[in-house]
Amino acid sequence: MHSTEWSDEAFCRIIQEFPVLNREVNGKRLVYLDNAASTLKSRTVISKMTDFYLNHYSNIHRAVHTLASEATSEYEMAREKVARFINAQSEEVVFISGTTMGINALVNSLVRSGMLREGDTVLISQVEHHANLVPWIRLSKFFGFKVEYIEADNTGTITIDSILTAKSRVNSPKVVSITGQSNVTGQVMPIEFIRETFKDAILIIDGAQLIPHKKIDVKALDVDFLVFSGHKMIAPTGIGALYGKSTLLERLEPFLYGGEMIDKVTFEDVTFNVLPYKFEAGTQDIGGAVALGYTIDYLESLGFENIQRCIEELSKYLLEELSKLDFVEIYGPRDETHQSLVSFNVDGVHPHDVSQVLDEDFGIATRSGHHCAQPLMSVLAKGSRIDFPNSTVRASVYFYNTKEDIDILVEGLKYVKRWFG
Amino acid sequence: MIYSEFIMDYSKLKKFHGKIENAHRIEEGKNLSCGDEVTLYFLFDGDKISDVKFEGHGCAISQASTNAMIEQLIGKTKEEALEILKNVENMMFGRDFDDQLLGPITNFYDVKNYPMRVKCFLLPWKTLELALNGEEKKPSKE
Repeated sequence: MHSTEWSDEAFCRIIQEFPVLNREVNGKRLVYLDNAASTLKSRTVISKMTDFYLNHYSNIHRAVHTLASEATSEYEMAREKVARFINAQSEEVVFISGTTMGINALVNSLVRSGMLREGDTVLISQVEHHANLVPWIRLSKFFGFKVEYIEADNTGTITIDSILTAKSRVNSPKVVSITGQSNVTGQVMPIEFIRETFKDAILIIDGAQLIPHKKIDVKALDVDFLVFSGHKMIAPTGIGALYGKSTLLERLEPFLYGGEMIDKVTFEDVTFNVLPYKFEAGTQDIGGAVALGYTIDYLESLGFENIQRCIEELSKYLLEELSKLDFVEIYGPRDETHQSLVSFNVDGVHPHDVSQVLDEDFGIATRSGHHCAQPLMSVLAKGSRIDFPNSTVRASVYFYNTKEDIDILVEGLKYVKRWFG
Repeated sequence: MIYSEFIMDYSKLKKFHGKIENAHRIEEGKNLSCGDEVTLYFLFDGDKISDVKFEGHGCAISQASTNAMIEQLIGKTKEEALEILKNVENMMFGRDFDDQLLGPITNFYDVKNYPMRVKCFLLPWKTLELALNGEEKKPSKE
């Protein structure tokens, strides 16, 4: 009984595509439910990347030889694919190592460009991953801007009311930086409403959790910056992308200086290369970027709308099935905005013990801990009806998961509850 | 299976739970990877550890480890406690250790095969290390 969105034939192809799904873990078929941390890797993407490294690789841009020209063309094609994927122009897409790097670069660049100054306010939410929290907090100490929060309710949910309350408190923040989807509560954020509410702010979206399963149109949403990581959408680790509106990128001072990002260098001064190269100093992760392009090819060959439907269906099933367990406490909105992952606790059992037993006795990979969102744990503790352990278990799906995987999880949780009583 | 009967039993012990008013030393330990916290309260009688209690949440491994550690510590001198600590770490990192000295603590021997759980086991022991190597709390002047 697998997700009805894939025909049997299509599903067999998917299994062949992710060979680790045939692996046994502790004598059981692997049930991989840690996709929000990182997804499995695909045979197609890895073999195309291998072929690129073995047969077409060289450094890009400056040399005139054949390999350099082939590698450059693959690299730039990958940029075009990313741009098309989010409806941007090629020059608006900068390759970066991932979301964390992207946000750190942005905060620094905004400050250096004078686009974020002492006394300005940055509005983020209480559900942010540390990647979209720590850079703002730390640099606010050096540069004197303020960090304010859209507050979450005690299920960890950001409501329309809480956005309006933040609006009346802060009025006109210089920057609004918010996750597209919480990695703890699974809530997909009302980006349109946030844009509408903060018309004049620079809007930054942390797309790490959202981009892998939801089509984002940066133009339609009028997003100023978007950052995301490839490894959460089957691409290799170490590659991601930063989108910025070209008008803003033009004004933005680079975070990283060095080779390739320059136009003219003297002993006294420097002028910068054109977009997007002024943000790509040093030798890039060429193979990673090319592989991100192959990843988009692969996801589009499956039909991205199919992936989106599959995740919606699996998310609904996951929520419904976990809700039937009276000893399980679920965090987050628990409605149609709750997508791709569920954080929960088994009453009376520590998340580490839950995850350990699920792995040892059922071959299920889940994540336990604070999910890089420590402050949010104290919010969830307030709404908790159990002895809250300051952390949660998280199960997260991707398109190769099945309803059967979720059934095994439910069976595992019943066993955990019996075992620990 | 990491959850032996010993570990399950010791994870549920309640007798070392709580606070010691006027403790000579209070030490807080954190496991950064999961947010677990433990606070150890020590009462000394000269060089002897006369009582220990703890507060905090944690997984079965860390709770069992804390209870077994406290049971082992009470009545020992600080020097003996440090010797036990050294052997506990040796056991976890696959080095030679004195199993006579560790006694029931050897029930945790298999935890070393679960690298992600070694930190859970070591949380109270690392906190003990901080407590024994730090300065003793000065008696209040009030």
